[in-house]
Amino acid sequence: MGAVTVHQLNKEFSGVKALNNVNLEIEEGEFFALLGPSGCGKTTTMRCIAGFEDPTSGTITIGKEQVNHIPPNRRNCGMVFQSYALFPHMNVFENVAYSLNIKQLNEKNVLAKLGVYARLLNRRLGRMPKDMERKVMEILEYMELDQYAERLTSELSGGQQQRVALGRALVMEPAVLLMDEPLSNLDQKLRHSMRNTIRRIQQDLGITTIFVTHDQEEAMSMADRVAVMNNGEVMQIGKPTDLYSHPSTSFIANFVGTSNSLHVNSAIQEGMYTILKGDGFTLKTLHQSKGDGTAIIRPESIQIHHRDTEMNPDSMNILEGEILISTYLGSIVRYEVKFANHQLIVDATYASGESILKPGTKIKLAIDPERVLVI
Amino acid sequence: MKKGKRAFNGLTLVRVLIYLFFGLFLILPLLSVFLVSFTGQPVNLLGSLTDPAIFDSTIEKFKGVSLDAYQSIITSKGYFNSLVNSLKLAITVAVLVILICVPIAYGIARTTMPFKRTISALCTIPLIVPTFISAYAFILMFGRSGWITAIYQKLGGDGMLIDPYSMAGIVIVQVFFFFPYALWPMVAAFKVSDITLEEASLNLGAKNWFTFVFVTFPLALPGIISSALLIFTVSFSDFGTPIILAPKELNLLVVEAYREIAGFYNWGGAAILTVVMVLVAAFFFWLQTLLTKGRNYGSVSGKPKMQRLNSHSGLTKVLSGYSILIVLVPFLAMISIVIQSFATTWGKDFLPNGYTLKHYQTIFTSSLGNIQNSLILAFGALVLSVVIATFVSYFVVRQNAAKLDFVTNIPLIVPGIAFGIALIQTFNTAPLQLTGTALLLIIAYTIRRLPYMIRSTMGTMRAIKQDIEEAAINLGATPLTAAITIIGPLMLPGIAAGSLLVFITVIKETSISILIAPAEWAPMSLAIFQNILRGEYYTAAAMSVILVILVLFLQAVANRLSKND
Repeated sequence: MGAVTVHQLNKEFSGVKALNNVNLEIEEGEFFALLGPSGCGKTTTMRCIAGFEDPTSGTITIGKEQVNHIPPNRRNCGMVFQSYALFPHMNVFENVAYSLNIKQLNEKNVLAKLGVYARLLNRRLGRMPKDMERKVMEILEYMELDQYAERLTSELSGGQQQRVALGRALVMEPAVLLMDEPLSNLDQKLRHSMRNTIRRIQQDLGITTIFVTHDQEEAMSMADRVAVMNNGEVMQIGKPTDLYSHPSTSFIANFVGTSNSLHVNSAIQEGMYTILKGDGFTLKTLHQSKGDGTAIIRPESIQIHHRDTEMNPDSMNILEGEILISTYLGSIVRYEVKFANHQLIVDATYASGESILKPGTKIKLAIDPERVLVI
Repeated sequence: MKKGKRAFNGLTLVRVLIYLFFGLFLILPLLSVFLVSFTGQPVNLLGSLTDPAIFDSTIEKFKGVSLDAYQSIITSKGYFNSLVNSLKLAITVAVLVILICVPIAYGIARTTMPFKRTISALCTIPLIVPTFISAYAFILMFGRSGWITAIYQKLGGDGMLIDPYSMAGIVIVQVFFFFPYALWPMVAAFKVSDITLEEASLNLGAKNWFTFVFVTFPLALPGIISSALLIFTVSFSDFGTPIILAPKELNLLVVEAYREIAGFYNWGGAAILTVVMVLVAAFFFWLQTLLTKGRNYGSVSGKPKMQRLNSHSGLTKVLSGYSILIVLVPFLAMISIVIQSFATTWGKDFLPNGYTLKHYQTIFTSSLGNIQNSLILAFGALVLSVVIATFVSYFVVRQNAAKLDFVTNIPLIVPGIAFGIALIQTFNTAPLQLTGTALLLIIAYTIRRLPYMIRSTMGTMRAIKQDIEEAAINLGATPLTAAITIIGPLMLPGIAAGSLLVFITVIKETSISILIAPAEWAPMSLAIFQNILRGEYYTAAAMSVILVILVLFLQAVANRLSKND
C-alpha cells in the first residue's frame, strides 16, 4: 500500500505534448479519480504510473520509492484495463492465478521455473501449490466468482468479466490499484451497481486507487478526490463537492455538471454584495470578483416564477425572461430561457400534475446571490 | 511498449539474434554476389574478417574490379539474349494470364455462373503442383509421344500440335499453372466496385455491357494490373518449367545462371546474372507495391457490400463453359501423371498398354530416403520458420521494427535460383563452410518462405490486443514471459496453419533443392528432377503423385486448422 506522487510529469509523443507539468499527490488509501474529456492525458498519466509509458521528464513515486526506472512488471500496480484484457485462453481461475504463478517464477530454481511455464501453457502439466490455490479461491469468493472458476472468460457476462479483471489485479496485493475507464463497457444499470461494488471493495481493503474516467457522474460519486484534466494539464484538484460548488475555470464548471456562463464586464463592491455588470444584465453576488470575468450559475440555482409572486429584490437577483424550449426529463424539467441577449438553462423540479411551461411564456427568474459564482 | 532506452532483456537478445541470422544468411550472400559481379572471382567476405591472408587476397581482388562483366551483358550475345528472352517470356505470360483470367474472375465474382464451386476447387490444382512436374506432365500430353499428339495425328494432323520444348511450350505451361495466382486477387478486384455505382450507371441509361466496360472494369483495373505484375515476377523467377522445357538454343536467365554455376563454375557470370535477376524482380515487385499501396481488397469494412450478380443465362453458360475448359488443362495434366505412374509402358497411344504398381514398389524400396529427406528438411524449415516468424511479427507489430519488416521481406524479390547461387558462393569455403550440408538447405528454405509465414503470423499478432500483453506485464511477467505464456498460445492456430504452408512449399521447392541439396540429403523434388533427366519417367511420375498427395493432405490439414480458429 502506498501513496502516489507525480511530480512535474511531462510526456511527448513524437513532439506532441501529451502531458504538461502534471502534479498529483495521492494519499495512501485514497480513491482518486482522473477526470477529463478524451485526449486530455488522463490515460497517459495512468500509463506512466503503471510504467507502460516512459515520461519525457518528471518523477513518479509509489510509497517511498521513486519508480521511474522500474520496469512495468516490477511496479506492483494492479491495473484493470478498459477492455479488461482477460487472457482468452485461460479460465477464470487461471486468469486470477497468473500473477501468483509469475511470482513463483521469479523465486524458484530453474527446474521449478520450467514447471511453472509448463502449467502456464497447459493446466494438465502441473498443479499449483495448495496455499496459492487457496488464495485464488479466496479472491474468487470475495468477488462472488467462485462458481465460475472453471469457466472461460468469454462465457461470462460483462459484469462478471469486470470482476475477474478486478480480482486478477487484487490477488497480487498491489501497492496501487489503477482502473482505466473500467465501467465504460457496461450497460447503464450494471454500471451503477459496479460503482458501488468497486467503492465497497476499495473501502474494505483500504487500497490506494486511481480511477480514470470521462464520466463526471462516475468520478463525483465514487472518488474521495478528483483531478480534472484538459489538454494534458491538471486544471483543478479537489473533493467532488468543492469542484462542483467552486470550479476554478468555466471549463470545469461546464465539465463538472451543466452551468450557465455569463461574461462580466465590470464588478463594483457595494456593501456585502459585488455588483456584476454584463451585456444587458446586472447581477449581485456574495463572492468576490476582480472585475473582468465570468459569472457561473448552475441550472438548478435558478428559480422560475411565472405568476406574480412576492419576491424580495434586495436579497435575490430578479430577472425577466421568456421560455424558448422546454424538455421534460423525468424528475426535472429543463428550460432554455431567453434573457436579455443571453440564453440560460434552468432546471426546475417537476412534481406530478404540474403543467410544463410553453415556449413563449414570459417568466421571472430568481437567483440567490450566494449561488452566483465568479471566475 | 516504447522503444528507446530499455534494459537489455531476453527479447532484445532474440532480436539481435534474428538480425544476425538475416545478416549472415541473406544480406551477406546477396552482398557478396553483388561484389563478385564486379570482381569476376569469388570473394570470401567472412573469411576476410577472420583470416588476414584471405583479407589480403580479397583486397587484391577488389583492385581488379571492373565493369567487364556488366559490359559482357551487352556484348556477350548469350547473356543479353537470355535477359531479353526472360523478359519476353514473363511479359507474354503475364498478359496471357490476365486475358484468360478476366472472364473467369468476372464469372466467379459477379455472376451466378453454374459450377462455380467446382471451378474454384479445380483452380487450386496448379498451386499444389511444382512447376517442373507440370512441365513434365505437359510433355506427357503434347510431347512427341503424348496422348494429345496421338489424337491430333489420328485426326490427320502432322507432327505435334504444340512443341513443348519451345518458348511456346514454356509460355503455355506457365500460363495454365500460374493463372490461379492472379485469379483470386482479380476476383477480389471485381468485388470492389459497389453495386450502387453500377446501379447509378444503369439508372443514367447505360446498358449492361456499357456499365461493365466503363464502370466495373475500370474499378477493377488497378487490381488487374497488380496481378499482372505479380505473374510477371512469378514467371520471371520460375525455374522448374524452363529447366525441363527450354531447348538448348533458347537462353533464359534462370537456366543460364544455373548452367554457369552447375556446369562451368563460372562465378562471375553466375553473379552477374543473379544481380540482373534480383534487380528486375525487385523493380517489378516495387511497381506492384506502388500500385497496391493504400488499397485493401479484403472485406475489412464491417458493412457488407451489396453486390448484384449477373444471372443472364446465356452469358453465365458461356462463362462457365469457358472456365471449365481452362481449369481442365491442369487437371488433365495431373491425370496424365497419375496414369503414367500406373502404366507399364505408354507409347504413342491414347492410353497405356497396361497397368502396374511396379513403379510405386520401386519408390518404396529404393527412394524412401528421398521422401524421408523431404520430410526432415521441411520439418527443420518449419521449426525455424515458426520461431523466427513469431518473434519477427512480435517485433514488427508491437515494437514497430520497420527495418526488420523490410529485411524479412527481401526474399520476396530474390528468385530461388539467385538466392541459391548467392548462398553457395558465400558458404563454400571456411570459416563457415556450409555448402553441401542439410543445415544450409534448411536455412535457405526457411528464408525463402519466411515472408509468407511472417505475413500470416503478423495477422494473428495484430488480432491480439496490446492490452492483453500489458495485462500480463502488469501482473509481473517480463516481456519474454508474457510472450511465451500469453502471446504464444494465442497465436498457436495462426502459427500452425502458417507453418503447414511452409512445410508444403518446402516440399514443392525446386530451384533451391536442385542447386544446393547434397546427394545424401536429396529431397523428393530433386529425385524427381534427376529421374526426369535420366529418362526414368515412370518412377518420376509415381514420385510426383506421392508428392502431390502429401501436399494435398497437408493442405487439407492446414485448411481445417485455419477454419477452427
